Amino acid sequence: MKNKLSLWIVVVIGLLVSMGCGAKVDVIKLGIAGPLTGDQAKMGTDVLNGATLAVAEWNAKGGVLGKTIIIVARDDMAQEQQAQSVAKELAGEGVIGVVGHFNSGCTIPASVVYHDSNIPMITPSSTNPYVTDRNFANIFRVCGRDDQQGKVAADFAVNTLKTKRVAILHDKTQYGQGLADEFKKALGANAETVYYGGFPKEELNFKPIISAVKETNPDLWFFGGIYNQAGPMVVQAREAGLTAVFMSGDGVIDPVFLKVAGASAEGSYLTFSRDPKDVPTAQAFLDKYHKQYGEHGPYSIYAYDAANIILSAIQAAGTTDGTKVSEQIRKTVYDGSIGKVQFDAKGDLASSYYIIWVVKDGKFVPYENK
Amino acid sequence: MLQHLVNGLIQGGIYALIALGYTMVYGILGMINFAHGEIYMIGAYLGIISLAVLTAIGGPISGLPILCLFIALIISVVFAAGYGFSIERVAYRRLRHAPVLSALISAIGMSTFLQNYIMVAQGKENKAFPAFFKEPLISHPYLVGGARISLLEIVIIASCVLIMLGLHLFISRTRIGRAMRATAQDKKMAALVGIDINRIISLTFIIGSALAAAGGVMVSMYISTTRFDVGYMTGIKAFTAAVLGGIGNIPGAMLGGFLLGVVETLGIAYISPDYKEVYAFVILMLVLIVRPTGLLGERLAEKA
Repeated sequence: MKNKLSLWIVVVIGLLVSMGCGAKVDVIKLGIAGPLTGDQAKMGTDVLNGATLAVAEWNAKGGVLGKTIIIVARDDMAQEQQAQSVAKELAGEGVIGVVGHFNSGCTIPASVVYHDSNIPMITPSSTNPYVTDRNFANIFRVCGRDDQQGKVAADFAVNTLKTKRVAILHDKTQYGQGLADEFKKALGANAETVYYGGFPKEELNFKPIISAVKETNPDLWFFGGIYNQAGPMVVQAREAGLTAVFMSGDGVIDPVFLKVAGASAEGSYLTFSRDPKDVPTAQAFLDKYHKQYGEHGPYSIYAYDAANIILSAIQAAGTTDGTKVSEQIRKTVYDGSIGKVQFDAKGDLASSYYIIWVVKDGKFVPYENK
Repeated sequence: MLQHLVNGLIQGGIYALIALGYTMVYGILGMINFAHGEIYMIGAYLGIISLAVLTAIGGPISGLPILCLFIALIISVVFAAGYGFSIERVAYRRLRHAPVLSALISAIGMSTFLQNYIMVAQGKENKAFPAFFKEPLISHPYLVGGARISLLEIVIIASCVLIMLGLHLFISRTRIGRAMRATAQDKKMAALVGIDINRIISLTFIIGSALAAAGGVMVSMYISTTRFDVGYMTGIKAFTAAVLGGIGNIPGAMLGGFLLGVVETLGIAYISPDYKEVYAFVILMLVLIVRPTGLLGERLAEKA
């Protein structure tokens, strides 16, 4: 008797749920995926805010193909397995495009799902070359690649800084080690790599490694990793008397790096995109973003452009069919907030993205403005 | 070589300080206090917070960085001792007669709770140790045989050795120490001869936590930063050190700590940093295969 009752309850609840799903409203769903909780939650929220701003503007103009756009945001917690199930959820929801994911480690497995479901995806921030090297027709990115970043850094080290001996460290993550390897590759025969090694991404005591690096007497020391480790590492290196120039990538551009490293950060070189504040087309975006959410994150503007690119491609193609929308994205030159956006055959930006930044008087400044 | 040895001795001294907490609690309660690594982390935060408060109060004190550091160290040690005492009261005392597994799970729960509590209260980012307090201690390193040794490094090694020596004397020479040893050997018998077991156990947690907090402050000063999750790996390493030396044995914990620190640092310097976590555990496995009781672990074997 009891069992029958519970069976009925299950059936009734099941019916109610399916009725909820079946209710048809004339909307188009845009998926946003990134780390909305956990230690990278700030980055995920930056991306969500940027894309939300774009969608609000489209809705104010009457939506796309006459339909209102709603955002379906999903949290991948910066974890690979989670990213894959999030991707399946989004595909099940019937989204017409995805802005995300944030981390390369998440984008790579998730993009397989989007590829199978034929959903156009634009990542605002995943820089690992493998994301687009698979030549998926529906996968794009509006940021740079680690091999471009590594090359810009290596060219600067060799040509401008006249470096001869280089020590390379990384945090053993897909991002950090990937960037370090690309840097090493781009240096080629122009400079000698006198030290190469990685450590866990939780490590905070770098003195043993720094002592070992110091014995190899490098002119420059490159780190592939993020600001959480770069800060204490720079301080400890200066304390230990390592005088080599410090160089790193976009993962270190964060105010926390300056706060922890203090005076030791002075003269560090970093590769990152141009500052939106220096880009005339970005001003409208920055004003709106600051009014709505306060200070913008490093990737907010890329998420904003990514959402705009997907929506305008749908408008131009006149359909939400994944294949046609992807073709449309690939052939259009888009006037984005970050400047002209054009994709190459792989889905990467056709034009260059990275510039050199330097820490001066406790601030990040572009090298040309120094 | 000398530089690597100094690095290793500092790392080892810190492991040893924390390992003492593990080994004392194990010796007396026969359980592993997995929340001990978090006490080390909380100690580091307490040091940074009390320095910030001292600076905010300002006045004549902030002109004397060494005195400030000393006061911060005392505050941190006292508060962390309070944490240790409370952990035992809240999470372990009621489970003292429950199966060992219950206390172990309670310890893991406590560890996760404290870590998340600090993460929520103090943020997920690195907390920087105020630089100007370190200035007089690091800016004039001594050059010994090609190695740079700063005053701070000497102070850390010296304090580790002194603290441990003090603890050893306390346990082997004083009345309370004798009571602690008696409790470790047989709780029931100790209670029968009039020893207040609860007080002794609380005292064990207080001393262990104070040592861990001192380690936390010194490390955060040495590496100039701390984060909410530093307790986890350091705790595991210190626990390894305790097992290596023979868990329950105080000189063993010290030996294990120093051995681990030096092996790890030399491994990083002469083999590769990539395998940092491997060296410690390879040593542990080798020792446990050859001597299952740990290096100085006879007494435990006797007891069992």
